[in-house]
Amino acid sequence: MIKKFQFREEAGWSHADEILLCLDTGSWRVERPVLNKEKCNYCGLCALFCPTQCMVDRDDHFEPNLAFCKGCGICANECPRKAFRMRKEGDA
Amino acid sequence: MNAHARLLGCGKKGMLNMEGTEFNKTKIKVITGNSAAAHGAMLCRPEVLALYPITPQTEVVEEISGFYASGELDAEVVEVEGENSAMNIITAASAAGARAFTATSSYGLVYMYDALLQAAGYRVPIVMVNVNRETPGITAVSSGQQDMISTRDSGWIQIITSSCQEILDSIIMAYRLAEDFDIQVPVMVNYDGFYLSYLAEKVEVPCRADVDGFLAPLKDQPQRPILKPGEPMGFGTHGILEGYLELRYKHSTALERAKVKFDEIDKAFERHFGRSYGGQIDTYRTADADMVLVASGSLSGTAQKVIDLKRDQGLKIGLIRLRMFRPFPRERLIETLRGKKAIGVIDRSICFGWNSGPIYVELRALSPEIGYIPMMSFIDGIANMDVSVANIERMVRILQSASEGDSYQKVTWIGMEEE
Repeated sequence: MIKKFQFREEAGWSHADEILLCLDTGSWRVERPVLNKEKCNYCGLCALFCPTQCMVDRDDHFEPNLAFCKGCGICANECPRKAFRMRKEGDA
Repeated sequence: MNAHARLLGCGKKGMLNMEGTEFNKTKIKVITGNSAAAHGAMLCRPEVLALYPITPQTEVVEEISGFYASGELDAEVVEVEGENSAMNIITAASAAGARAFTATSSYGLVYMYDALLQAAGYRVPIVMVNVNRETPGITAVSSGQQDMISTRDSGWIQIITSSCQEILDSIIMAYRLAEDFDIQVPVMVNYDGFYLSYLAEKVEVPCRADVDGFLAPLKDQPQRPILKPGEPMGFGTHGILEGYLELRYKHSTALERAKVKFDEIDKAFERHFGRSYGGQIDTYRTADADMVLVASGSLSGTAQKVIDLKRDQGLKIGLIRLRMFRPFPRERLIETLRGKKAIGVIDRSICFGWNSGPIYVELRALSPEIGYIPMMSFIDGIANMDVSVANIERMVRILQSASEGDSYQKVTWIGMEEE
């Protein structure tokens, strides 16, 4: 017996208004950005530079959605106030 | 452009060239294989064509440009800087719902290899003509099927034709097959470069009304998904794990469906135009034959002649002409070959690593169903070497001695061995 298909169409079409095929890229991460809220002035540069566009707007600061953040460290590199620090996954 | 002009196939550039294709009158012409391909494509009313010239396909580009200039072809014709772009353009155009066409050969085919795989993976129902020519490695501006063979696992449907008329007709059938809602797989129509590409033969050029009528059933099918402004859709999305597996599974099963579908289309074509080519395979005097030759492409005509000569001498021999190479017509080959005493396969290309012909290798995979009988590979016709009557007669002699129980050599490079 063949399992129920995930895709409605023959090819890999995804309906942007219903489902976009996303990879859980968070599982690839070696390091994760950790925010020091004290230093953040909500300028939004991290969100602009984030290649996976995973920065979530929290009204007074931005923080990464760790389900998608690949841990590339671009946010930490771009932040003028050094509000992000890259921490090795698994470390406290 | 008014509706009437569109119906008559008049383009932006002027009135229909009445010498070419009248709406409801079939024309008999003497044209080359390349010209037949261009006529076939034009009659299917492709909306986007991207073309780059390469020997021996160049004439297809020239002819299509002529149709465009005269107004017979009302389409977007894109001059590209290479074949890779050509394939990407028509893939994108097809994703947006257009009927699309391109033509290439050899170096061009391999230059678009990644795009070729994309088109198949995206399941865009495009049609491409590939004029068979030897591949890079040993630069050879000459005939051979190595280019087509090198793309056999790309997921395309591959059809091999053997006459100018069949080239034209197969392109029309190819659109019907590619665009069928149950299939949605790109189709490559192949013919031997230098032999068929430049050979002029009598060709019946169907009228537009007939081709429109033949392709009309496609309009009654459900709409395949296409990209539209204002309707966001993800196309060519990548996947991993089960998602990828599912798309591969669907693609592979669509190819399996394409086999019977192609037979049905061939029958429908016969009802419509009065010409039939047998669908997946074309058999000649195989019913009571003990020995069978399996061949494809332009050399099949010569092989047919040899079959007649040998039949006159009392030899029970027949010919299978392979028309569909991908998907491989397993069921019909088994049905035709079961119970035979010996099989010889003529290949115009090489399966490196097996030291034999590729079609031969595939046919041997059917041994459990056909029976363990002598099967021989004949490599011939490489790089414009003629597959002559004498050559095929030699193959038949080898085949006959094997069928009588003599020891035999599995692979013979005709032309490399002393006679």
